[in-house]
Amino acid sequence: MNTDPNTVRDLFASHYFVFAFLASLGTLQIAVSNSGIRGLWLTPHREMTRWLGVALIVTGIVVFFLQPMWVEGPWAAGSVQADSVTREIGIASWGELAGARNVNDIHGGLDGNKQAMWFPLGAILAFVVSALIGAVNVKTLRSLESSDENDSPTAAQTDDGLAGLVNRSIFANLPASFRNFKSDIAGVWRSGIESADHWSLFKMIFGRSSS
Amino acid sequence: MNTIDVNLVIWLNGLSGNVKIFDDLMRVIASDYLMPLVFSLAMFGLWFSGKTPAQRVRYQLQMLVGISALSISNVVVWIININWYRPRPFVDHGDQLNLLFYPPTDPSFPANPVAVGFAAAMAAWAVNRKFGWWMFAAASLFGLSRLYAGVFYPTDIIGGALVGIAVYGFTSYFRRFLEPLVTSFLRLMRGLSAA
Repeated sequence: MNTDPNTVRDLFASHYFVFAFLASLGTLQIAVSNSGIRGLWLTPHREMTRWLGVALIVTGIVVFFLQPMWVEGPWAAGSVQADSVTREIGIASWGELAGARNVNDIHGGLDGNKQAMWFPLGAILAFVVSALIGAVNVKTLRSLESSDENDSPTAAQTDDGLAGLVNRSIFANLPASFRNFKSDIAGVWRSGIESADHWSLFKMIFGRSSS
Repeated sequence: MNTIDVNLVIWLNGLSGNVKIFDDLMRVIASDYLMPLVFSLAMFGLWFSGKTPAQRVRYQLQMLVGISALSISNVVVWIININWYRPRPFVDHGDQLNLLFYPPTDPSFPANPVAVGFAAAMAAWAVNRKFGWWMFAAASLFGLSRLYAGVFYPTDIIGGALVGIAVYGFTSYFRRFLEPLVTSFLRLMRGLSAA
């Protein structure tokens, strides 16, 4: 049976996206639990968040590599056959599983460029999901605490970006961060031009005109 | 040199076929998806990992350099490939090898996956030595698995590693030519609560 590489590619892309999303979500949870960025935690507890992260990574890997056992694809006849175009569509047996995903990109596997497109999408989605669930967590924790120092105007102005997410939800942090960005960026650019290397492309273009 | 190269790949690949579970493990490690995702996740994780804002900025600048180095490594490998076509081991010595992977159609030298892995490992090593060594181990294991599978010569792996390290060095140095664009980009990401 001839297999259309584009059909195979679509199948791979959808599986890879889920794989990248779950693994990114897990990695993000481990990283933010270590750095204490509570606005991105999926659970209210540090240890639980970390272990959930490990579980998500393992789930992503296991699901991706076991999927050929229940999803039909070009892995039925094993993966080391020279001509993967003529491979039969079907589900893989346990014995064929390890090599089932090894499909050449010219026959529908995902090449580096496609992976470079799908991985960031999975990672961005993982960040958005973490930020949304983290906002619920922060709100829950807030309602349990009687006083909250981080609502003070000083904290709102100084902490932004990920540092602001340590104690704030994305909804409270984003406007403050973007406001700070708009007021800072001209100064950041100017001081950057001044301190940049003599051979900086931007210093050569903008440095002379500003001086 | 070429004889040593051939003998090494035949010897290492000759170990396959004895323990199925080990062959299967090598097939999974050699896959196009597992280790490249590990390298990408390492970059993604380090982006969020600093304990203080200053440490995070340092990590994030290195990750931007790492991601650029990873991309440029691909271009360098492609340029080498169009100038020199070295056939894969299974093309010249197919009768002596037990192929565990699909037969790639691109040239053998230098090993692209290893170049990418070493570029990412260098970026990680620059900010966190311990984690960086783990990354080097992962990139080396990726190369070893492809060698075991019979799709690369040992010198392809060494060549790939050198390309990755050299490109990282170049990208790290090249960053100064693009300042303050890089720092401003990072400031924008902070404005979006992502840095």
